[in-house]
Amino acid sequence: MMMRSCRRYSTGVEALIKTPLYSLHVEHGATLVPYAGFAMPVLYKGQSHIESHNWTRSKVGIFDVSHMLQHRVKGNSAAEFLQKITPSDLKALEPFTSTLSVLLNDQGGVIDDCIITKHDENEFYIVTNAGCRDKDTAFIKEEISQFGNASHENFEGTLLAIQGPQAAETLQKFTKLDLTKLYFGNSAFAKLEGFTNDAIHIARSGYTGEDGFELSIPVDHEGLEFTKALLELEQIKPIGLAARDSLRLEAGMCLYGHELNEQTTPVESSLNWLIAKSRRTPETAGFNGSDRILSQIQNPKSVSFKRVGIQSKGPSPREGNKIYSYEEPDKQIGVVCSGSPSPTLGGNVGQAFIHKPHQKSGTKILIEIRNKKREAHVAKLPFVAPKFYKPE
Amino acid sequence: MLAPLRIAVRPMRPVAAALGSRILRFNSTVAQANSLNPSAVPFKFSDSVTVRYTREHEWLASHPDGTAFVGITKYAADALGDATFVEVPEVGDSVQVGDSIGSVESVKSASEIYTPVDGEILEANDELTSNPALINSDPLGEGWIAKLKVTDPDQLLDAELFDIDAYVKFLQEES
Repeated sequence: MMMRSCRRYSTGVEALIKTPLYSLHVEHGATLVPYAGFAMPVLYKGQSHIESHNWTRSKVGIFDVSHMLQHRVKGNSAAEFLQKITPSDLKALEPFTSTLSVLLNDQGGVIDDCIITKHDENEFYIVTNAGCRDKDTAFIKEEISQFGNASHENFEGTLLAIQGPQAAETLQKFTKLDLTKLYFGNSAFAKLEGFTNDAIHIARSGYTGEDGFELSIPVDHEGLEFTKALLELEQIKPIGLAARDSLRLEAGMCLYGHELNEQTTPVESSLNWLIAKSRRTPETAGFNGSDRILSQIQNPKSVSFKRVGIQSKGPSPREGNKIYSYEEPDKQIGVVCSGSPSPTLGGNVGQAFIHKPHQKSGTKILIEIRNKKREAHVAKLPFVAPKFYKPE
Repeated sequence: MLAPLRIAVRPMRPVAAALGSRILRFNSTVAQANSLNPSAVPFKFSDSVTVRYTREHEWLASHPDGTAFVGITKYAADALGDATFVEVPEVGDSVQVGDSIGSVESVKSASEIYTPVDGEILEANDELTSNPALINSDPLGEGWIAKLKVTDPDQLLDAELFDIDAYVKFLQEES
């Protein structure tokens, strides 16, 4: 058998960048793998992939996401600049709220996805993917040069995701910020009592479909000590990249390089909601690739394929598997973006780009896995309903 | 309950002994973990089983009448993690060295299983279809994947196939 995973992972970890939490990963017996140039934990000793997945859905999992890139964009033209490279309405966004967004190229393809948080009319905090660090900074630098009054800087530190049904009650023990008033998509600056000198950024968000938070702790030893304290709590376990992927897949969320790429528009990736309603006319649009994107929104029939959910039993669909028509098994109608067994639901779940008219939930399809075409069907996303904390 | 003794834990050669007791202990633990379960059919099929291993972490248990069982090693099962699905071959298929005879899937990956010898599939372990966790709990016993009729017994002598000592040494070099 080909042991792709363990062989590829077994060498070269020494040359990689270590996050501020590296020593904790080692202490907890992490299997470290190279990921976007960083040594990142994929699994920790004593918990299998499925166990760590289920732990996050039932208790609290913490994820080191310090490898992701943090940006600060400031200035009188900051919003205007960000509205050129994304389709979001950042002027309408309330301070201390966040939105998922996409950095767009001139063709409307996605350079990266990101979370943009507005701190002030002239100040934004952005988090982008680790795997796109170099191209994102080059792209932003190039684009911002056309704006006189906007500055961009990156910063590093501990970025920690705390996810799961007990995340709020756990974090509440460490902060005076009233978390019952911090809803999904909101953020605030607050101290971690006893751990940070200054207020740190706490965002109610996440990538698992569970309630949870992402904390940005700029001082390395503070991030390390706080995480160490969390890990002493019974309900908390460190969770690696393996479960992070299966959790986000069940939650129907996109992973850059799989459901999103530079050739595919957000409309094709079924993320129409990212194109702000207020920015859908030629006068209000003005973002990169808006001609193509607006034309796709206005003429849905012109969009030949889009991202849909898929479900099956048996061998799991995996990235790159070809999808064929159930009625005409020689006719290819799509390709799998991501897929894996679903620890929460049983069977397999996945996301795929599929052509018309095979996109309706329940449509039978065939997926070619190891030279055999296997039955599957189109399914509604997300597979596991999100448990985001929202006002009544 | 005492764990049953497993076969093929040969006495250490002097060269290994010279490396110190830690490695010795490592070697014998790894050798034991990757040896056949003596209470399962791949071992009990005859009273004279020969076990060989591949670089791809399959094991082959062959018997004097030309029947052989194929599965994956404990090392491979541990590296894969929880098996979520095992695909077994079809009875009657003729297979040649290197052909895929099935796959073991975990949440994060799917790994093909290749036959180390030419043969005809006599039986597939259908138990794995309903209970893929057998791959993790007893990979060298109840978790066998295929039973085949070896068509060219000379292939069993192939230098590419390891005995348990050579496999343990190979694992050490890999890690």
